[in-house]
Amino acid sequence: MKKNIIKAYILKEFKELVRSRLILMVYLMPSMVMLLFGFGIKMDVSHARIIILDNDQSKFSLELASKFEHTKYFNTKYLHISENEALELIKQAKTDALLIIPASFEKNLLKGQKSELGVFVDTSFPVRGTTIESYIQGTIISAAQQISKTIGIKQTGLILINNRNLFNQALRDEDAIIPGLLGLVLLIAPAILTALLIVKEKEKGTIFNFYASPLRKSEFLLAKLFPAFLLHSVNIFIVLIWALYVFNVPFRGSFFLYWSTSELYILISTLIGMLISIITNRQIVAIVLTIILTLIPGFLYSGMLMPISSMDGASQIEAHIFPIMYYTHIMYDTFLIGQGLASDKIILYLAILIMYIFLLFGIGVNLLKKELKS
Amino acid sequence: MKTFFVVFTKEIFSFMHSFMLVLVVLYSFTIDVYIAGSGIQLKPKNVVVGYVDNSGSGISEKILSHLHKPEFLPPKAFLSQKALSDAIFNKEVIVGIIFDSDFEKSYREGKNTTLNLLLDSTAASQSLTTLSYLQNIILSFEKLNIPIQIKSHKLFNQNADNHTFMGLSELLSVVTMLAIILTAIVFVKEKEDGTWDIMLLMPVDPKIIILAKSFSQVFIVMVGVVLSLGFVTFGAFDTPMNGSFWTFILLTFLYALSTAGIGLFVAAVSKSIMQVAQLSIIIIMPLIFLSGSWTPIYAMHPFFQYLSLISPLRYYIEGSESLFYRGTSFVDMLPYLSGVAIIGLIVYWLGFRKIGKLF
Repeated sequence: MKKNIIKAYILKEFKELVRSRLILMVYLMPSMVMLLFGFGIKMDVSHARIIILDNDQSKFSLELASKFEHTKYFNTKYLHISENEALELIKQAKTDALLIIPASFEKNLLKGQKSELGVFVDTSFPVRGTTIESYIQGTIISAAQQISKTIGIKQTGLILINNRNLFNQALRDEDAIIPGLLGLVLLIAPAILTALLIVKEKEKGTIFNFYASPLRKSEFLLAKLFPAFLLHSVNIFIVLIWALYVFNVPFRGSFFLYWSTSELYILISTLIGMLISIITNRQIVAIVLTIILTLIPGFLYSGMLMPISSMDGASQIEAHIFPIMYYTHIMYDTFLIGQGLASDKIILYLAILIMYIFLLFGIGVNLLKKELKS
Repeated sequence: MKTFFVVFTKEIFSFMHSFMLVLVVLYSFTIDVYIAGSGIQLKPKNVVVGYVDNSGSGISEKILSHLHKPEFLPPKAFLSQKALSDAIFNKEVIVGIIFDSDFEKSYREGKNTTLNLLLDSTAASQSLTTLSYLQNIILSFEKLNIPIQIKSHKLFNQNADNHTFMGLSELLSVVTMLAIILTAIVFVKEKEDGTWDIMLLMPVDPKIIILAKSFSQVFIVMVGVVLSLGFVTFGAFDTPMNGSFWTFILLTFLYALSTAGIGLFVAAVSKSIMQVAQLSIIIIMPLIFLSGSWTPIYAMHPFFQYLSLISPLRYYIEGSESLFYRGTSFVDMLPYLSGVAIIGLIVYWLGFRKIGKLF
């Protein structure tokens, strides 16, 4: 009976979205974020700047220093300055690390005495700092093994590490980041679009049209959600094209699983925005709240930065509250692993995502008011 | 001057008037910064290790005993390689170690042996770092005979503590977001209501109104920064401040001014709050991204490196990091200060001119 009213409402919302030139934003934002972050985020360390102070200038010290030259990990620079001047350079952020070879390096080596190498690392960027430190140690140790071979110290009982990198053999940054990025992009963009839809009407007073209309609360929400959901559904394919053809991420799972999960997820994102729109009464509050509630948990719990399994107790629980964790788990599977519905965990996570939709929609219908507050 | 203060206080009052807005702003400056600072741990921590031990020997146990907290959770034993790889596929285990049955024997005989590792490399940075941790553990275990000792020093953030770092960059992002959005909305609200044209037509100098309106929002942000520093950065995280506090405040003020300029610009080109929301996100995300808080500038694509030169947040973050961790002196801070100031003035002037025009 009320089909026509719902249809009219949907049409009205649709026209409003298109007319306000938002359509450009709807498609520009996700792609822009994908390209920026996909090209930009580099988790592994390469071209770390290291300054080598070679106070010995001997055959062995040069051999050690040259080990740092021919890798992509370091950009080496030799300087003849004092230790304090070099530390000053770290202070000014002109270099990431400092290696000091003592003056008696070769002499001690030949005598069989231990000589001490000084390594200084700038760890104001903690991850980078510790990674650089371990790279330097690794490089020095492998150089030392070679040097000790030439001076005739025998090594026995070596343990070789044979590591297999599952799912992402080449350890490409893109493979590790893009699936998580999808979860972030498809969370923020739809949420920010719907966050204003209802609060805008409240501020302007046009919400009274709805109070007076025969539409039920759930029908009103559906009519508001539908256009935003439809517009963003196209983004599912756009971001997939970026992922596959620009970033060359492998796709090992089923397309159907990717598509249906993403549709569910976009519905959740629009519902989150809608919920914020229902509980706030000013547009600016809605915007700030949406950014705070989506951007940070999005980054934290997407699995891009750290695996959920290694989080602390409290963060672990928080991660399970936000839907992004379940979505990105399925995304990492469809892109890199390819177990699909054969895994029980994925079926469970899908069920949880569906549950979210009903839960959020139910909360929204309950909190939405259809009369003037007294 | 009087007009300035009247408009200024009016804006402050209308901000305080919305209880929820005050609450949300307070939340973003305190709890939000706290969550980001305490939640994000980028170095390997609590890495879940699983192992299959076919050698049944003391050596494997000795190696495993080196994997301890805080980097690793106690290793879980698996009965077969199949069970282990299933657990990795379900992301319950990140690193799997397999000891072959002849592992111990060949080690005792002084032959070279291999240790098999399975790494979940969807978390590329975690698995790389875990690998190098393991290499170091095994190196210390081998009977290596190297005449070299490495003495390693971590400078500026000795414990390589993530809290303070992530908390700080989150604070800077919040400043960016709020300064842009708050300023833009103060103006667009009037535009939407149609009162902005009237403002410009009034006998009061519109320049003063624009200045007062934007400065009131800068003031709100500055108060938020001070609160955040007091409660979260110095209170909860106990971040050491190696440089001068007032230099940081000056830097923040210049930065807030330049982002308010961006806000003015956004306000000038958008007609509704919806457009402000979308435009600010499009501006904020690259701004934060190009600032070097996620990834160091020189490790970026060269194109982005050039682009980042015009991001005021870049100078702000580099400056703040230097102040907090390296204790850089005021003179060495001048490049950062002038970087923020110059970009800020240009952007502010552009936005100022654009919003002040009637048509």
